[in-house]
Amino acid sequence: MTIRTARPNRGQHFRPRIHCVKKVEAIVVEMQDPSSGVKGSEQKLNVTTIPHVIAGKDIIAWIVNKMKTTTEEGEVFGTMLVAYGYIYPLQNHRKLVMCNDDTLYRFQTPYFWPTQKWFAEDCDYAIYLAKRNIRKKGMLEPYEQVHYNQLHDWLNHKWDFIVMQATEQYKAVKDRKKPDRVVFDCQERAYWIVNRPPRRTHSAMDCGPERLLDPNTEEKITFDQHRRMNIFFQQTIMRSRVKSSVSLGALVKYITTYKNHDPFLAPCLPSNPWLTDNDEYWKLNMRRVDVPTKMRVERWSFSLFELLRDLRGRDDFKVFLKKEFSGENLAFWEAAEELKLGSSSSMTSKAETIFKTFLAPGAPRWINIDGRTMGLTVKGLDHPHRYVLEAAQTHVFLLMKKDTFFRYLKSPVYKEIQKNAQSPGGHNFSPDQLEQNARNRSLGIHPIVLWQQEEEANAKAAAASAPVDVKAMMSKIDRKK
Amino acid sequence: MGKEECKTMLDALNKVTACYRHLVIALGSTSDSQNLREELKRTRKKAQELAVANRTKLTSLLKDKTISKEDRAEYERLWVLFSSSMDLLEVDMKRSLEIGQDFPLKVPTRHLIQTGMTGSTTTVAARAMSVQNMKYEADSNIDTADLRDLQTEITQVTQMVEEMEMKVQVAPWAVEAKQEAGAELKSNMSVGNSSVGVISMCEEEPKEEEGGGGSGGSSLAPVCAVFVFLVIIMVAAVLGYLVINMS
Repeated sequence: MTIRTARPNRGQHFRPRIHCVKKVEAIVVEMQDPSSGVKGSEQKLNVTTIPHVIAGKDIIAWIVNKMKTTTEEGEVFGTMLVAYGYIYPLQNHRKLVMCNDDTLYRFQTPYFWPTQKWFAEDCDYAIYLAKRNIRKKGMLEPYEQVHYNQLHDWLNHKWDFIVMQATEQYKAVKDRKKPDRVVFDCQERAYWIVNRPPRRTHSAMDCGPERLLDPNTEEKITFDQHRRMNIFFQQTIMRSRVKSSVSLGALVKYITTYKNHDPFLAPCLPSNPWLTDNDEYWKLNMRRVDVPTKMRVERWSFSLFELLRDLRGRDDFKVFLKKEFSGENLAFWEAAEELKLGSSSSMTSKAETIFKTFLAPGAPRWINIDGRTMGLTVKGLDHPHRYVLEAAQTHVFLLMKKDTFFRYLKSPVYKEIQKNAQSPGGHNFSPDQLEQNARNRSLGIHPIVLWQQEEEANAKAAAASAPVDVKAMMSKIDRKK
Repeated sequence: MGKEECKTMLDALNKVTACYRHLVIALGSTSDSQNLREELKRTRKKAQELAVANRTKLTSLLKDKTISKEDRAEYERLWVLFSSSMDLLEVDMKRSLEIGQDFPLKVPTRHLIQTGMTGSTTTVAARAMSVQNMKYEADSNIDTADLRDLQTEITQVTQMVEEMEMKVQVAPWAVEAKQEAGAELKSNMSVGNSSVGVISMCEEEPKEEEGGGGSGGSSLAPVCAVFVFLVIIMVAAVLGYLVINMS
């Protein structure tokens, strides 16, 4: 038996969105031309002078000249160069933007350029952090310290190697001259700011999942693939199609109904937790909240599907149906869902209970479906499988949709909920408060706690809605007498 | 003992890997030159020799079934060190191939990136090769010829690493590191005699301490050096006096 470790074959993992780098590299190289490129000057730091420093406005002027575009486009292009890591700022090294003024920048060495194939590995980052730890004598920045501790946990088996390599690399740099050492440190720091950005630094290295195919190679399609493509397309032509006017109409209708509920298009009140790190939005929209938000209640009125999908809406609907004494449709629908989505070991027992409660003639909660469906379902229940109640469930759903749903929307229960629904105001956080929010992020409620709450609530509901035992009721009345 | 030999060899490999990485970082920039390519070639060759030596030693030690449990754990730890070094070396070699191909030296129109590093890397290479001074003897077509060699060497190294994976059954995740977090701060870094204390890199870190006399611990070394110097001068004076007396 051999142990095959997951050694990354670094040549094969291609990240899709960065295949523009080849073109950008060509432009960066052109900038180096001593005659027609960007003019550099020297940076004076106390006693050392470091050459090859460029001002932001020179870069942008060169880009505008070369690409014959406007200054705004030039600025955006310059910011892209900084965000990818081809050029790094010297003064405000965490803000990866290109300013159209005298701020100083320098070019990054080709080893630290973003590439499609070579990923910035955690092991290298750990070595860098260890080196920085030595340099700063233990005073790392807070985000760096957090990363350091995490990496010490994850890469513990390699930690000896990391320490050894860090000390060796540190010693190797010491032999060079002072300006070179300064530049080397700046370069490495800029590389890691781009690849492991601290909070509020926007680098361009956020890319999608890795692919195993090189997006730059030309694919040769074989004869068999062509044959299969032909068959596929022929079958596609024969499919029945909907007129585009109809489908576009449906799309427009969907957009107009849902447009205010989409957190990308409309502001998500009180604030989008992913952006501001404040989870009030999630707290207000929890499963068992007493007073739902206005947006949520509005969403229930869109269709029965939405109402049933939101479990809080389902609860409300149940309350309404209990008042109308017609809860058996919804109960059957829920039981059928449970059968569909539940475990296969409990399927036969569930099917039995459903038959006894809902479908048998004279059952306590008999549902009113047409004869043909009833016949099919009962026959199917002899050999129950997951989708045996599908026909009956659809029938019941349609009944509810056409009749009970509209009565619900006009009922006082719904109107009451609509009136009392809360609509929270928007948050307006300053950058300091955002930092504070980020630091105070909590883990939230553990899913096991939520599950336990669900189970308790379900048990209570089951006990409350168990069919009344007539004999016990009668004996109670007798005893009272 | 086998362990000590292994450790020294691994230290050497570690040093050469670190220096190789430093040299590859300088490729393509303004500190690139003919000399750098040659340094890269020689460092690489040395790294490969060390790697092969390490591998034979470690595999022979690990194959031995009669060693105790602690010894075996120790050898597994050394093995993880070795394989991580090899991983780094392999990546650096592949990257140097790519960058070397992108930035050939003898083409008149290609420009090197003005990164601000203008010094030479001889000291780093000398450190890697463990010699005092580097002597350069390469001919002018080093970039093209070298790249071909580099490709063959990369395939050799890749093969070696794959063989290592297949033949030696060491679970890297089971190894426990001996160093704890922050161990690098306690290693005997002679931080004193370098000026990399806190140098001013950009306007953001304006404090510049020449750590030249900074760390108080190692003030002994210069005193010893002065003492030895005085002794030599005195001996020279005595000998000179004798010579003058005799003639």
